Amino acid sequence: MNTEIPVEQTQSCSVQEIMAVFLARDLVDGEQLQVGVGLPVPEAAVRLAHLMHGPNMELIFLGARMNVAHLDSIPLPQFGWDRRVVRWAESYSDTGHRFDHVNDWAKRVFFVGGIQVDPQGNTNLIGIGEDHRRLKFRGPGSVGTPTLTTHVGRYYIVLNTHTARTFVPKCDFISTVGWGDGDPNARSKLGLPGGGPRYCVTPLCVMDFTESPKRLRLRSVHPGVCVDEVRDHTGFDLVIPDEVPITALPTPAELTVLRERVDPGGLLRSPN
Amino acid sequence: MASLSLRRERIISEHDAVGCIADGMTIAIGEPHPMALVRHIIRRGLRNLTVIGSGLALDILIAAGCVRKVISYYAGGGYWVPVAPAFRRAAEAGLIEVWECEEGILTSGLEAAGKGLPFLPWRGGVGTSLPQVNPDLKVFSDPINGETLIAVPAIIPDVTLLHAAESDAYGNVRHCGGPGWIDLFLHRAARRTIVQVEKVISNEEIRSNPWATTINSGVDICRMPYGAHPFYSRGYYVQDKPLVAEYFSAANVGGAELGHFLDTYCREPQSHAEYLTAIGIKRLLDLHEY
Repeated sequence: MNTEIPVEQTQSCSVQEIMAVFLARDLVDGEQLQVGVGLPVPEAAVRLAHLMHGPNMELIFLGARMNVAHLDSIPLPQFGWDRRVVRWAESYSDTGHRFDHVNDWAKRVFFVGGIQVDPQGNTNLIGIGEDHRRLKFRGPGSVGTPTLTTHVGRYYIVLNTHTARTFVPKCDFISTVGWGDGDPNARSKLGLPGGGPRYCVTPLCVMDFTESPKRLRLRSVHPGVCVDEVRDHTGFDLVIPDEVPITALPTPAELTVLRERVDPGGLLRSPN
Repeated sequence: MASLSLRRERIISEHDAVGCIADGMTIAIGEPHPMALVRHIIRRGLRNLTVIGSGLALDILIAAGCVRKVISYYAGGGYWVPVAPAFRRAAEAGLIEVWECEEGILTSGLEAAGKGLPFLPWRGGVGTSLPQVNPDLKVFSDPINGETLIAVPAIIPDVTLLHAAESDAYGNVRHCGGPGWIDLFLHRAARRTIVQVEKVISNEEIRSNPWATTINSGVDICRMPYGAHPFYSRGYYVQDKPLVAEYFSAANVGGAELGHFLDTYCREPQSHAEYLTAIGIKRLLDLHEY
């Protein structure tokens, strides 16, 4: 299925660059793009979108809100609370006031990671195990993801790995509700006003959701990845259409902006 | 006529500041982290604390064995480690209890305390596992529209410890360029607040711009230049990246290596001044902001 992709083309960019470009193209000018800490792919994606086609986008990191379309480069942060991330902020908001204007969040876009994802796009940052008091793996905690995913117009699930341990039939704990039990009305029944997850992007592929019931479906595989590989690394029956396209490669113009103005340090090209 | 007696100054020593914390209390740690007072807590060997906090300050207190219960929405190590190492180890071993929450839930609980309410409602977390793994969070039907919400009980720190830019001698505090990420919520919820500051300024300077005062009165002040080190202090210095990396590296290994780190940086220096001497003037001066 993937044999038509020229080798030299797939070797010219990293899978994380492909993920970032896919996400960037899906972002619309005028949107507010909020990214949490430690997610280099979405951080690169929002910067790339801002520089390529989104002069009216607002980037939101760690309570700092900014429009930096006028800058030559907006490099990725190299460490936690890197002041270079927020020195161009036009406003700051402290933790207790970030959620004071959720009636304005229809145009806000968010990105969430997870240590587990289930077929309905529910995700887990709490931990793995049966007993919350004695977890086998203790996660970092929910941060602000429950509130953000409750209210934002849409969000993306972005993972650094794609394994059967990550994509599980049922999350041990749920920190963000995707489509709940899969009912297309699950979110409105719970009173969650936001639009829910749109895509799930991993180093192997892009997934979207079927309409009813809501369930993860393979949308495209990245160059060099075959459908069976995705199936083998997913711990539940992924919906797989007859035709699965290849995720589009970055254009030379996108790669130039990404490498020269967003990621000059090569974070997306270094091994995980 | 001016008052015949003098207004009381509120500057106290680090020893007296930490002296008001007892084993088993609930303490809240602001951000930027008041690391000098955190190190003093470790030196004193306090035990069984409930800690409201995040990041490095939370993890190092757990590493030093001071903590029994954690109230936190995020115990990660930023770009260094996905999960704070001492937190992860202690939680998996069942040595600490985790009061599971998220940002909006924590600030709702703090705000309830500040407003003198038994709880405040919150929506973020409805449909998640949070109310199951944290039975203090009560799912209820609101009496106005019948919507499903979470009642977050008031969270009341016995002592809140903060780091800020400056203050006068009477406890009028200024953060540099904003109020701190969660500091005002922690302060308003607490029974007592102690703020360590980079410098003490005159009362006249405070009066020249009252809007800039972020915390007004009722708090005690510790004068601690470079007191957030190895964390950042806005307007003064950036993080000491190698030292933070050294901590997370030692914490990942645990055991003797972590013990050595704690001894070197927390237990052996007998005061904040001794700590700064051990770090060295060149290293500190290299941490300018831009």
